[in-house]
Amino acid sequence: MIKNLKNLCHKKVFEHVFETYAKDLKRFIFFKTKDADQTEDILQDCFVKLWDNCSNVDYDKVKPYLYKMANNLFLNIVKHNAVKQKHKHNLVKDSTNESPEYLMIEQEFYDKIQRAIANLPEKQREVFLLNRIEKKTYKEIAETLNLSVKAVEKRMHLALKTMREHIGNI
Amino acid sequence: MKQNEIHNNESYLAQWLAGDLTDDQLKTLVSETDFIAYKKLQQGIATFDVLEAPLNNTLNQINKTIDTKRNQKKKPNYWTIAIAASIVLFLGLYTFFDSNNFTSQTGIGQQETLALLDGSEVQLNAKSTLSYDASNWEDARTLSLNGEAYFKVTKGQTFTVNTNNGSVTVLGTQFNVISHDNYFEVTCYEGKVRVTSNSKEHILTPGKSVRLVNGNLETMTLEDNSPTWIHGESTFKSVPLKHVIEALEAQYNINIDASNIDKETIFTGTFTHDSLQLALRTTFDPLKIKYTNEKERIIKLSAN
Repeated sequence: MIKNLKNLCHKKVFEHVFETYAKDLKRFIFFKTKDADQTEDILQDCFVKLWDNCSNVDYDKVKPYLYKMANNLFLNIVKHNAVKQKHKHNLVKDSTNESPEYLMIEQEFYDKIQRAIANLPEKQREVFLLNRIEKKTYKEIAETLNLSVKAVEKRMHLALKTMREHIGNI
Repeated sequence: MKQNEIHNNESYLAQWLAGDLTDDQLKTLVSETDFIAYKKLQQGIATFDVLEAPLNNTLNQINKTIDTKRNQKKKPNYWTIAIAASIVLFLGLYTFFDSNNFTSQTGIGQQETLALLDGSEVQLNAKSTLSYDASNWEDARTLSLNGEAYFKVTKGQTFTVNTNNGSVTVLGTQFNVISHDNYFEVTCYEGKVRVTSNSKEHILTPGKSVRLVNGNLETMTLEDNSPTWIHGESTFKSVPLKHVIEALEAQYNINIDASNIDKETIFTGTFTHDSLQLALRTTFDPLKIKYTNEKERIIKLSAN
């Protein structure tokens, strides 16, 4: 058992590494790609490649390995897109800034949002997290918390107001 | 929804975030600066949704990909198989056409076990030659033998062993054939064996043996399950001594000078393949024949 603790080819160790680094790695990838789907693809690729190379990667160097892998995969996509862009340059005018999925958000601003959420009054934060993380509708949250839908919506409204004050004018 | 109501219930931001209120509707409710701030906040929340989402699905997908890859590795590469099969076929045809006539020969004291094309097994005793035509094997399992061999034949087409003294035909059985000059012996250990010699036919059942000594065909019964030579001994039952001497010479690299004794003396007994001295003693002592090592590898027999 002991000797398996640092063996990345061991599924339990591999999953532990995933649980330890995946979230931060995802954030790292996201602020490069600014695209949710690409982020997910690269994130999965990183860990699949780690598994493929599990016997060659030193457990103590797994973090730099993952970040390097993520960066390389991102650069591959950039290169690929550059080629694609070159070929359809004259055909389609880039209009991604109008699509809502394309998030032109900067890391510093996101840090502000995170702090704003963390600083929300408990009742507002509870509703906000149930809605955003648990993907519950206001009605479902109302049932869970034994509140009226109106009360839940009010808390959510206040949460957004509080956050807006926190981030200040842009 | 009337604007007053929206104002009063103080939940329009929640409705807007849930998509129940459009941007245009929101614009009428808040200042221009606030609207830009809320749009930016909306993006921040969307990012938060992405980055804070539980990673269970991601891990499941990764495990799925890993498993699929692993299964793909297990799947044989059909191209590799095709190439390997071509090579095998090519080599097979090559050997097939190149050496239709297969011959195996054992020297003095040697034994050899051969597998035939149909899975049958032949154990070749010392100083024996076995040959067969591989190209014709499917149609007629026929081989030629000079010497001694023990056959374990798989069931199938007629299996024939041709010798100078006659032929042995079977349909899947175990039998032993000895064919030297003037000596022919076939023993059946399993199944049924048909022996044809001098246009006489003999059907052997397990434990039965037939032999041709000096032109006379005689049958015998024995108790062994397989020939003793397989287990490192040669056994004889009422055999003229000259054939025993031949067997000794075949087993050990020696020449036996039997000019001074009666070679037709009938011998019953066993000699080992491990020790020449022991073999000589067990063969000649009971017959009261003296054996002397005249030169190296030459043994002279003389009556006592």
